[in-house]
Amino acid sequence: MIKVKGLYHSYLKDGKYAVKDVNFEVGEGEIFGFLGPSGAGKSTTQGILTGLLQLQKGDVTVAGYDIKNISRKMFNKIGVSFEQSNVYNKMTAKENLSFYARLFDVETRDPLELIELVGLKGKENIKTGEFSKGMKHRLVFARSMINNPTMWFLDEPTTGLDPAIAAAIKDIIKDRNKMGVTVFLTTHNMYIADELCDRVGFIVEGEIKLIDSPKNLKLQYGEKLVEVEYTQNGSVKKDCFSTILQKDKDALNKIINEKEILTMHTKEATLEEIFIKVTGRELV
Amino acid sequence: MKMWSSFKKELILAARGFYFYVELGFAVVIMLVILFAIPENFSSTNTEYFYFNLPEQGREISKNSLLENDTDGKIEEVEIETGGKVYPAGLIVSDEQEIYIFESEEAVRELADSERNLGVVVELDENNELFYRYYLQGYESTRLKNLLSVLLNESTVVLEERINNQEVRTLTTGFEPITERKNTIPPLVAFSGSLMGMFVMAAYIFLDKKEGVIEAYAVTPSSVWRYLLSKVFVLLLTTVVSGLIIVIPVMGFSINYGLLLLLLLTTGFFASTLGLLIASFYDNMTKAFGVIYLLFFILMVPGIAYFIPGWDPFWVKIIPTYPILQGFKEIILPKGDIVYPLLTSAGFLAGGLVIFALTNIRFKRTLSV
Repeated sequence: MIKVKGLYHSYLKDGKYAVKDVNFEVGEGEIFGFLGPSGAGKSTTQGILTGLLQLQKGDVTVAGYDIKNISRKMFNKIGVSFEQSNVYNKMTAKENLSFYARLFDVETRDPLELIELVGLKGKENIKTGEFSKGMKHRLVFARSMINNPTMWFLDEPTTGLDPAIAAAIKDIIKDRNKMGVTVFLTTHNMYIADELCDRVGFIVEGEIKLIDSPKNLKLQYGEKLVEVEYTQNGSVKKDCFSTILQKDKDALNKIINEKEILTMHTKEATLEEIFIKVTGRELV
Repeated sequence: MKMWSSFKKELILAARGFYFYVELGFAVVIMLVILFAIPENFSSTNTEYFYFNLPEQGREISKNSLLENDTDGKIEEVEIETGGKVYPAGLIVSDEQEIYIFESEEAVRELADSERNLGVVVELDENNELFYRYYLQGYESTRLKNLLSVLLNESTVVLEERINNQEVRTLTTGFEPITERKNTIPPLVAFSGSLMGMFVMAAYIFLDKKEGVIEAYAVTPSSVWRYLLSKVFVLLLTTVVSGLIIVIPVMGFSINYGLLLLLLLTTGFFASTLGLLIASFYDNMTKAFGVIYLLFFILMVPGIAYFIPGWDPFWVKIIPTYPILQGFKEIILPKGDIVYPLLTSAGFLAGGLVIFALTNIRFKRTLSV
């Protein structure tokens, strides 16, 4: 669905690249997470993929369209949910979506149905200028579905939302993905990436450092540890043992045989920890 | 369909916004000023103060001589107060002058001083010949002073003979002058209607940039030019409405409204595309303010030339507002030239199209994420 080869982009065309030699592919029906801290090149890459930034160097195809000679028809197939809540503040939620729907050449979804889907039922006739940031963000998310896109670009879709709403948004993404929609998810939230993505790409300082599935990354980079809580001489003790090192294995066996175990569980590395380990950078 | 949808959206936004009403409100204020504050024709009546320090007979002859031009042939008895004193006077009113005849030189001197008008004392010298003493304000030109000297020292017969011997040839015939009130319409329509569009257009774009809605529009199958053109159409609508608000109450239906609409639309199109082009280079109004202010100042210069017919240098004529003003003037003149507004419209339409094409390229390139 997306093919990116040798992508470079310099805002001032001065050889200082916001993204450099970026290569990746996103298959049909896949959820691909593009992860990195602020200023890493996530938005620049998404800007090029969605035609908002001109392609300077490299080969990019999106939904079968060559981005070099972008065709307006491509936008009938793609949907973009922006991080910025870019809606018309002087128009109501319904007016915003209705106006947007008329710009497409394909069958579009009912604005009221989408408004209800993102939990804004009853707010359809209120001007979005009166909406909270989270409500606007949900409307932008709803708008990105108006044309039933097969290629869906989501930029920080759960930012600023309370946990319940964020969970609902994640469910919508999962549902759309089950229906065959390809998702390009840009985020610095590793938890949502871990939960939703089939594969993730780590980008730092304009370069992709690694691409793999969260599961593989955890297997490859996560340390295999067991955390045990037990009682010894009347007090509670807590230890961590490697499941690979023989010395740790023996110590763990001894505790299991001789002590009263209170809790015991394996400890996996989080995506965030792996990101830091791989890139040497924090996500913020 | 997409164009109509964008236009409808822009109309909703304009109707719920601030600038739309500012433009129309401004037009209403201008219309009221033209109708109720600007006189039909500016008064050119001079006021002069006389004192005839002459024998009774000479005084009567002088008064009767001035009375020949009085509108009703009678001297009106009035009292004028200045410096805490009241001076009785006879008032003679003609189309061009108001002459107060006082009974003392002191009254003439006081009034000339306080009211900043010409004072004249006429008396007899030792040779029993008429002697004139003028109270001027100090700023009168040498030409005026010389003229007064000539009038008093040359024989009126000689002066009349010389005037009559001058040949006057009329180069243009068949035109009818318009009133001063109507003469103010072209600059006011040009600046409040057409040029205001430039400022309002830039404001609309900066508002959209702030809200980030241009990016949202850019990821739809609808082209950026449709987005830009829909804004231009709204601006044209307000330009036409505000132009008509000013023109109809003053001119009635005595002018060619087809031509007026054509010139309003084409010049409005030019101005709004100029606003778009400026907005494509900046992020917000604060950053663009310097350029907009400078452009406004330059475009205002032909307005000065319009009211000073003797000042018309070439460089003023190449400023776009110059042909706009002349075009509007030709439309409101009773026997104005039809070709000039047509050519002007064609020029501004062509210019607007070129700027629009450039703007479209600029907006395609400068959309940022």
